Amino acid sequence: MPDMLHLMLALAIVAPLLSVPAIGLRVLLADHFPSERFAFRIAEAGLAVSTLASIVVFGYFAGVFGAPVRGEVEFGRWLHIHDYEIPLVLLVDRVSVTISLFAVILTTIVARFSRTYLHKEPGFVRFFVLLAFFATGTQLVALAGALELFFAGWEILGISSAMFIGFFHERDEPVRSSVRAFGTYRFADAGLLIATVVTFELLGSARFSALGRAGTLPAAEATLIAMLFLLSAMGKSAQLPFSGWLPRAMEGPTPSSALFYGAVSIHAGLFLLLRVWPVLEVSTPARVAGVVVGLSTAFYAASVVRVHTDAKGALAHATLAQVGLILVEICLGWITLALVHLVAHALLRLGQYLRAPSLIHDSHRLGHVHHHPSWLERRAPRLAVRLYAASLHRLRLDDRIDVAFSPALALARAIDRLDRRLRSALSLDGPA
Amino acid sequence: MPIDALTAPWETLAFCLLLLVAPVVAESRARRTPRWHVVVLAAALAGTLFAADASVAYLMAAVTALVHAISAWRFSRTGAAALVVSALMALGVAATVGADQITAAFLLSTVAVALRAGTMPFHVGVASLCDRAPRVQTQQLASTIALVFIHLRFVDHHDEAIALAPIIVRFGAAAAFVAALHSLVQRDLRGFYRSTTATHGGMVLAALGAASLHNYAAALLVTVSAGLALGGLGIMIASLEERVGVVAYGRSSGRVDAFPRLAVAFALFGAASVAMPGTVGFVADDLLLHTLWMESPVGTVLMILASAMLAVSTLICYSHVFLGRPASLLAPDLVPRERVVAVALAALVLILGFGPGLVLYPADAFLEVAPTPVSTPDGGSR
Repeated sequence: MPDMLHLMLALAIVAPLLSVPAIGLRVLLADHFPSERFAFRIAEAGLAVSTLASIVVFGYFAGVFGAPVRGEVEFGRWLHIHDYEIPLVLLVDRVSVTISLFAVILTTIVARFSRTYLHKEPGFVRFFVLLAFFATGTQLVALAGALELFFAGWEILGISSAMFIGFFHERDEPVRSSVRAFGTYRFADAGLLIATVVTFELLGSARFSALGRAGTLPAAEATLIAMLFLLSAMGKSAQLPFSGWLPRAMEGPTPSSALFYGAVSIHAGLFLLLRVWPVLEVSTPARVAGVVVGLSTAFYAASVVRVHTDAKGALAHATLAQVGLILVEICLGWITLALVHLVAHALLRLGQYLRAPSLIHDSHRLGHVHHHPSWLERRAPRLAVRLYAASLHRLRLDDRIDVAFSPALALARAIDRLDRRLRSALSLDGPA
Repeated sequence: MPIDALTAPWETLAFCLLLLVAPVVAESRARRTPRWHVVVLAAALAGTLFAADASVAYLMAAVTALVHAISAWRFSRTGAAALVVSALMALGVAATVGADQITAAFLLSTVAVALRAGTMPFHVGVASLCDRAPRVQTQQLASTIALVFIHLRFVDHHDEAIALAPIIVRFGAAAAFVAALHSLVQRDLRGFYRSTTATHGGMVLAALGAASLHNYAAALLVTVSAGLALGGLGIMIASLEERVGVVAYGRSSGRVDAFPRLAVAFALFGAASVAMPGTVGFVADDLLLHTLWMESPVGTVLMILASAMLAVSTLICYSHVFLGRPASLLAPDLVPRERVVAVALAALVLILGFGPGLVLYPADAFLEVAPTPVSTPDGGSR
């Protein structure tokens, strides 16, 4: 029954999205702000429908409802003008159905957990609106059959992530961290957007199925596209040199940290690379770059996690180390291992993040853990001290990025001065 | 001409009227724009969009610019002067197009659009309107859409337009990039609105440049998208300033608790202006990038970076204006008349985001057809 498959695929994506206007319109139009119960029920209903739909889609993929379904499922076109189109096409394959089902189940579990965890928090309604928005983004990323749709989901993940980081906006630090994370995302997303445009122009389509023709491209063009995808994945998965935003992202509520930086969002960059594997496969320089970045990040994160004193920060860096290793696995072509590693890692981290607030109790119960000198401390104590100091400062990554961007900001200030002079010279008005 | 094509001017008129009327509905009765302004503007807009002759259309466009200038005069003389200059440009187009001087008409029309859209460095007048009269600025966005419509319809079907396209695309992309970079160092809400408008001005100009390669509908969608997003932002900014005065960044201000609906509406229009998925801005941006690529890959990359920087500055603005420790403010949140406007504009932003074909297909059918035979250098006609 292909119609049922279409319906289920559509519901998997749209059901959580519908709860956003349902709650949002109530906020805009009603006299009273919606209650916690209303917001939770609407968001939970959307997630439940999406979960059921994802299970049915998985059933189609596994052949429960007849012959197994594999490949592209067409929904028409988002737009089509002359030779340009954005196809509404979803992909049913091993990677997409696994990630779709996995992500929606984890989101539903976290939603249930958050109802109690965030009870009577001022941002309760906002949290569930963002969670539904995020669920839509993950489903779109998981099931998209073309880069444009994928990019839409990718952007939704980015904005909902930034909003969650700045969730406790009464304090300045979460807001600053949110802007920083969003800035990193958007900079790296530019890579994906350029890659999408270039892919369309060179291959005639931005469908993932068209990437199979990447082998026909000249090496330089294939490498350019692969590097752009890698850049985007590095930003989303906080790989070096973009790792600075991840510990800052721990300012958000624990359930969102668990879902984003433990389970789903942090792995989105890796998922992108799995999706565009045909391009990566034909570009050795991009794969080598990926291995170098992954190993560097794993080493950096493993060093930092040893000196971190807060639970969520340590978990963030532990996550980063594993994500770096999965990146290496992908770039070495060990796709199945990478997929299994990704799913297992996400499950482990989700549990660890959700238990993070209880770690204090655990540490009191377990008592002080004695420090045993490491191999490096025994063999090269000076180097160990330097490494310790560098890890404490997280290699001053944020400072280095600030320095790298300072010429652009200086130029912006110069433009601002010029603009003021021009407007003042041509103005016919008095002071505002 | 197919039925689809006939709906293009009607649809464009509907967007223009919405942007024209929205600020009037949102304004308090005491500050409301005189009714005759709105009536004259509506009639002139209809005349602009439905005129069969280019000279008449540009004459009507000049009338709309002059009426806007009258509305703007008491708030911003600089803005009013810029509108008068754009009216003169439109009159120039009417004269030159009548004398078959298509290249001159094309250039004058392009400069008129740049003046109205606030493209850097032609942005001084629009920047002043953004500063002093955001609601008048929203209304003049309506007639900017109409001006772009007649530009695409009457003066863009020409070999000279194709020859000049690479220059205009590069200029627009560079202007958008500079304006977006500028937006990162703004320290107040008005500065943010100014630079956001200037960034979109660059985008509109670049889209206009790429339009001559049969991307007319894409250029119109980019302009409509900019109009709706900037119009919505302008109305929300005016509403906020009515409540709290001029907003400087400084420390975070916690207004989201006092004005949750205003914050939601601001965030939505901000999201549309930075091409967030689900809004019309996303599709318009995507289409713009693909059309720009045909003319200038470097321009495309500049535009992508401009969009990224504008998104960051929008989040910075939102966080400074709305987030922070809850402030005790006595002013009410959006009142019903403002809510109606916010919901109507937001609905359109979302509907066109999911169904951009509503604008694209009729516009494509209508604008692809050159209205009158235009002579070509080899002596033929098309």
